[in-house]
Order: sequence, then structure tokens, then C-alpha cells
Amino acid sequence: MSRHAADSLAGRAGRQHDRIALRHQPRPRQFGAVNWIGVFSLTRRQLRNGLADYHYQVLGPVVSSLLYLAVFHVALTTLQNGGSGDMLHFIAPGLIIYAACEKAYESSAATLILDKHERVIVDMLMAPLTALERSIAYAVGASGSGLSVGLAVALATLLFTWLHPANITALLFFAVAGTIMHGLIGTLVGIWAQKWDQYAAIHTFLLLPLSFLSGVFYRVDTLPSVAQGLIGFNPIFYVIDGFRWGMSGVSVSAPLTAGGIVLLVDLILFLSVYLCFRRGYRLKP
Amino acid sequence: MQNSSPTAAVRPPTLPQPRPTLSAAGAASLGPRRYVAVNWIGLWTLYAKEVRRFLTVGTQTVLAPMVTTLLFLAIFVLALGHRVDQVGGQSYMQFLVPGLIMMAMTQNAFANTSSSLLIAKVQGNIVDLLMPPLSPVEQTLGVAGGGLTRGLVVGVATGLGMWLFAPMQIAHPLLAVFFAVMACLLLSLIGMLAGIWAVKFDHMAAVTNFIITPLSFLSGTFYSTERLAPIWKSIAHLNPFFYMIDGFRYAFIDHADGSVVTGAILLGVCNLCLLLLVHRCFASGYKLKA
Repeated sequence: MSRHAADSLAGRAGRQHDRIALRHQPRPRQFGAVNWIGVFSLTRRQLRNGLADYHYQVLGPVVSSLLYLAVFHVALTTLQNGGSGDMLHFIAPGLIIYAACEKAYESSAATLILDKHERVIVDMLMAPLTALERSIAYAVGASGSGLSVGLAVALATLLFTWLHPANITALLFFAVAGTIMHGLIGTLVGIWAQKWDQYAAIHTFLLLPLSFLSGVFYRVDTLPSVAQGLIGFNPIFYVIDGFRWGMSGVSVSAPLTAGGIVLLVDLILFLSVYLCFRRGYRLKP
Repeated sequence: MQNSSPTAAVRPPTLPQPRPTLSAAGAASLGPRRYVAVNWIGLWTLYAKEVRRFLTVGTQTVLAPMVTTLLFLAIFVLALGHRVDQVGGQSYMQFLVPGLIMMAMTQNAFANTSSSLLIAKVQGNIVDLLMPPLSPVEQTLGVAGGGLTRGLVVGVATGLGMWLFAPMQIAHPLLAVFFAVMACLLLSLIGMLAGIWAVKFDHMAAVTNFIITPLSFLSGTFYSTERLAPIWKSIAHLNPFFYMIDGFRYAFIDHADGSVVTGAILLGVCNLCLLLLVHRCFASGYKLKA
């Protein structure tokens, strides 16, 4: 075959290739009202970030929950003559939901602050996602990481006490609603905060006292009535109380009221996050 | 071109006077600073830097531990206070207070030195510690002093906070100071070893989560080891944290589970060994110098 013929053959093949390429040229992906792939990608990314380094992201909360249980067990068995069974049975649900909620807060807040510091927040802002889709992805991602940690802690507490859910629907409802609440708080803090100090301050001075003082470890109904009245204004109390009702069937507040309040707070937080994302508050110049 | 520029035309007739020549004394003052055995200015500067490092973020480094420790007090007193009558001849709250103060002090002493060294390594400004004319002894003492100070500051802040809720007398104030200093120094030195060893923040999180926190939680802060089963009791008494808390508590409430003298000697020996070890690390540049 002459060189000329070979060239023309190659040219023809090339032209044919171009035609095929033209027909299959990448076009913007079409999607309807909701960019499902986008929502799914952002959610998966949030979940992975929250659980990537499981050595300390999951084992850390597990170890600290076990430490609390161990300390209470030893304190109760050595300091008084009765056993520790009923007390541990009371504390375990509180610890599970606390660990789950803390993780949800940490997951959404930390990723947002880190993204802002590393300037990769544009990847989230530029993607074809509406404010609603972003809010859902952050809430679901945080809730998912929180629930995974909650499950791990629940399995670990079996070392100390037997868990037998009294009402599995209520249990799941309060676990999901509670982690979503903390995930949304975390999203708001992540949007607002510019430094890690602010993130840590909200955790230490607001969320930790609100959860620890509202019944993770002790019965709220033994407190003075003033304190009980104040705790009634704390939404995290209803999360813990409702979750414990689902686990052991015992609660201080009416479970329906608790559920309603938690849902309402979730809704308000979700709206705030949605508005922040839509306006680009502290995210877009 | 240069000659035609207007500045050349209006150049002042007198040139600036050259600076007067240096006198002999002035020249000597610009030479390397002389010091004898110890570079006191350098040591003080390193120490002051370490202290300022945590004081500038006092909300996080002093106020936050104080709030957390007060929360612990509230939780344990509310959860267990009504079920426990007396521990070591004291109410449960008075039994709890010294242990909690000690826990806050040790955790913060550890956090200060470990984070200081690790952050310096990660950010690459560890050279600022390694290059100045500081001997390994001065480096060890300067950084450890910063951690010791943070521990004591947190201890005083936490103690004041606790005093609002549980006013109590200190039976042996000097002994309390002794145990506080020994414990903070010990944890500062352990923190330095961890900071020298760790390469990533994950390493430090692992050391804190899996070693330091369990040892301090299971050391008898929240319960008395006296009524543990014999085997658990002897295991608990192998934990150096137990002696810190027990000795410090003895200084407060005049009651100890173990032997205070053994504790004091043990802490002294541990501190000496760790000082030598950290000094060795700085002298050899282990994981610090290329």
C-alpha cells in the first residue's frame, strides 16, 4: 500500500471518528425538579468525611461512652451496697443518643469550616444544586454519620447492660430527628464560624451543657421544680427523653409532646439553613 | 537622561552625614551576646512564648476545661449524690472535688505541651525552637514549664469555680501544691514525648482518646478504690494517675486510699526519668531534626 493511500485511509478514519464524537458530544446532563445524582453525591461525600478515619471518629466516642459506663458501674458498686444494673440501664440510652448527636454536629460543622479554610467550599457552591438540595444533603449526611456512631456505641454498651427497645418506631424517630437537629445546628455553626475556636465554643459552652444537664446521666424529675421548668425550654432534653422512652418505655415528658417539639425545632432549623444557603450568608462574597 | 531629571537638579547641596563611627563599647554590644552556663533570656523567652500561646486563647484553654469540669461535678453529684452517703468520711461531693481538679489540671498540662510541639512540627515552625541557642535542658524546661503553668492556671480556675458550689477547706495546702506541681510536670513531659513522637493529629487524638483519658477516668476520681476487688485494686494502684489523685485528695480531705509517701516518691522518680528521656530526645533530635 502506498503512503498516500495509507494517509487517506487514516484521514477517512479520523473524519469518521469526528462525526461519531460530534454525535456523542458531552452535553449538560438533564434533570427534572431535583438533581438526584447531585444530592446523592453531596450526601455521600458528607457521610464519608464524617466516618473516613473510623479509628478515632467512631472508636473515640465508643471508648468515651464505655468509660462513662465503667466509671458509673464501679462508682455504684463500690460506693453503695445495691447493684448498678438499673442505673446503667438508665444511662445507656442517654449515652447512645448523646454520642450520635455529637457526631452529627461535628460532622456537618467541621466539614464546612474545613472547606472554607481550604477554599474548596466553591466545589459545593458551584455545583448545580439548589439551596434546598444542599440543606437536605447536609442534614442527611450528618444524620447518617451520627446514626452510625450511635449504632457502634449501642453495640458497645451491650458489654455493660442489656438493651431491649420498648418501642422501635419511637426509638428510630427520635434518633433520626435528634441527629438531624444536631446536624442542622452544626451546618449553621459551620456556615457562621470562621475559626475553630467558635466551633469548639458552641460545643463546650452550649451543646455539652444542654445535653449533659438535661438527663443523659440522671433523672430530671428528681431536680428542683425551677430547674425542671428551665429544662422544658431545652429541645435537646426532648430528644434524650424521647429516645429513652423508645428504649426503656420510661420518660419524664409526654412522648407525643416531645416528638412534636423536636419536629418543630427541626423544621425551624431546616428553614434557617435553607435561607442561609440561598442567601449565601458567609459563604458567597 | 538621569542628568536631566528634575530630582538631580534640586539635589540638596549637602549629603547626609555618615553615622558616627562606633565606639569600642558600641561595637562590643553588637557582638554575640555572652552568657555563662544557662541562657536565661532564651529560657525565659521560650517559657513566655509557651504561656502566651495558651493565654491568648484563654476561652478555650482555661474557661472551657473549667466549664467541663463543673459539668462533671453536677452530673456525678446529681446522678450519684443521693445514693451515696459517705466516702472516706466525706460527702460524695467533697470526695469528688479534688479528683476533678486534678483531672482538669493533668489533661490540660498534657494538651499544652503535646499540641505545642505537634502544631509546630506540622506547620514547620519547630525550627524556631531548634535553631535558637538553647541547650536541650533549656528546651525541655521551657516547654515543660509552659505545660506546668497551664495545668496550674486551669487548676486554680477550676478550684475557684468548684468552691462556689462546694466550699471546702484544704487540710494540707503545701502538700496540695506539691502534688499539683508533680502531676502537671509529669503530664507535661508525657505530652512532650507524645508531641515529639506524633506526626499527624490523628496520632495525638489516639493517644488522648485511648491512653490519657482512660487512665485519668479510671484512676479513682469518681470512686474509692478501697472497696474494689483485690485484683482490680492492685491493678488500679499500678496507675500513676491514681497516686496523683489520691495524694492530691489526701491534701484536701485528709484521707487517702493508698500510701501518700509511696505516691510522692513514685511521682518524683517518674518525673526524673521522663525529664531525662525528653532531654535525650531533644539532644539527639529524635523525630525533630532531619
